[in-house]
Amino acid sequence: MRALNTAATGMQAQQLNVEVISNNLANMNTTGFKRQRAEFQDLLYQNVQAMGMDSSDAGTIVPTGVQVGLGVQAASIYRITEQGSLNNTGNPFDLAISGRGYFRINMPDGSDAYTRAGNFAISPEGQIVTADGYTVAPGIAIPQDAREVAINAQGQVQALIDGQTEPQTVGQLELVTFFNEAGLEATGDNLYLESAASGAANVGTPDSPGFGAIRQGFVESANVNAVSEITALIQAQRAYEMNARVITASDEMLAASSNLR
Amino acid sequence: MDNAIMIGLTRQMTLRRSMDVVANNIANANTAGFKVESLLLENAPAQTAEHSDGPSELQYVNTWGMGRDFGQGELEFTGRTFDLAIEGEGFFAVDANGTEQYTRDGRFRTDAEGQLVAADGAPVLDADTRAPILLNPNAETTTIVDGGVIMQDGIQVGRVGVFEMPNRSLMSKEGNGRYTVPASDNPDDQPQAMLDPSVRQGFVERSNVQSILELTDMMTIMRSYQSVSKFLSDAEDLNQRSIERLGRVS
Repeated sequence: MRALNTAATGMQAQQLNVEVISNNLANMNTTGFKRQRAEFQDLLYQNVQAMGMDSSDAGTIVPTGVQVGLGVQAASIYRITEQGSLNNTGNPFDLAISGRGYFRINMPDGSDAYTRAGNFAISPEGQIVTADGYTVAPGIAIPQDAREVAINAQGQVQALIDGQTEPQTVGQLELVTFFNEAGLEATGDNLYLESAASGAANVGTPDSPGFGAIRQGFVESANVNAVSEITALIQAQRAYEMNARVITASDEMLAASSNLR
Repeated sequence: MDNAIMIGLTRQMTLRRSMDVVANNIANANTAGFKVESLLLENAPAQTAEHSDGPSELQYVNTWGMGRDFGQGELEFTGRTFDLAIEGEGFFAVDANGTEQYTRDGRFRTDAEGQLVAADGAPVLDADTRAPILLNPNAETTTIVDGGVIMQDGIQVGRVGVFEMPNRSLMSKEGNGRYTVPASDNPDDQPQAMLDPSVRQGFVERSNVQSILELTDMMTIMRSYQSVSKFLSDAEDLNQRSIERLGRVS
């Protein structure tokens, strides 16, 4: 019976759905996290009676045909890159992007990674680094005797050196955008890698057309909405149960047949 | 074999097939743009062997076709720029390796080149040119106004094609939420771009599967199947008893 397998694909799909939802909920308080959505599509169709076939010698054709579907499949797990809300922290090295763009991070192996999580810190050498200690491109060093560091919306980093009255520009932050942000490959640790689907990185200055602005003293919180995730969870659970009922019912039908003499 | 048993078997075959269809509906209850289906049945009359007093015709049951309910699925608000839902008639068209396919699933996105594409990367077709729609990736705002017109920073960059099917019974399902329309000599059978479709940005059309109806259908199918089984074993009993009786007489 196809119904057994069909219901099994339905249960697998809902299981995947619950896995995605639970990952979203687990990352509700992860800085810069973008929620994901599992998208489903119907699976293959089997032609029991093809449409358009001749149904008589007189040239009449079968108008609708009989196509039996074989269940459901995951089409994609899509990352929704909409803006998360900005939370004030007051920490001078907490940077949030308001609008499009990613920070570029120089990985220890020489490659580049990209992130929205701007909870940065200062390395022992005075460089702006991520929570894991990776350098934020283009590698800005803060002088040791800096009293105060100000970063404006355009990404200009200025330091007020002890004993001086005029702030000194020590660097310029850059942002990176992609044609298809949802195509970036997530590697964990809030980092994304460029992929064939995302398109090439496009480097630019913050707050210029097409790029977001930098907000110092803020972090971008996850764009997970707990209420809608829980609603989706309930829907997934009910759908799972219904598919299980189909399996039970199909099984009873098979039992009725096998009890025939 | 006995006619009664043959008739019972045709009924069980169609019930199994109906169960497959119901299982597919339930499995796709959370699939965006999915349209609920049901199996349509017909009588298949057959002549009995020659005899004078019995009924002249037997009624077997056979599958006749597939009924698709193209009714509106409910619109769920997502707020995403490229989630589009059609309210009312029509289908989006995508170019899947050179063939035009039609879908109600409007969860689109942009690809690495800035084209508007479906989940598998098939480009969405424009209403007027029937070509892929190229978007400006650096646009500050993208709005899709009613009628499917895409405006980026106030400039029209395209119009999402929504096509009307003159004859929906010709549509064949391809999986992935897609339909194809067979090539036909009759131009009236081919899909036409709608002039003023109702396209809603930031919404996804859910499937129009009503779970309660499907579950009751499922139970009806299961119980009918069981009662046909019962009827089959009764018919078999009758056979057996008549053989026993006849044996006793002689």
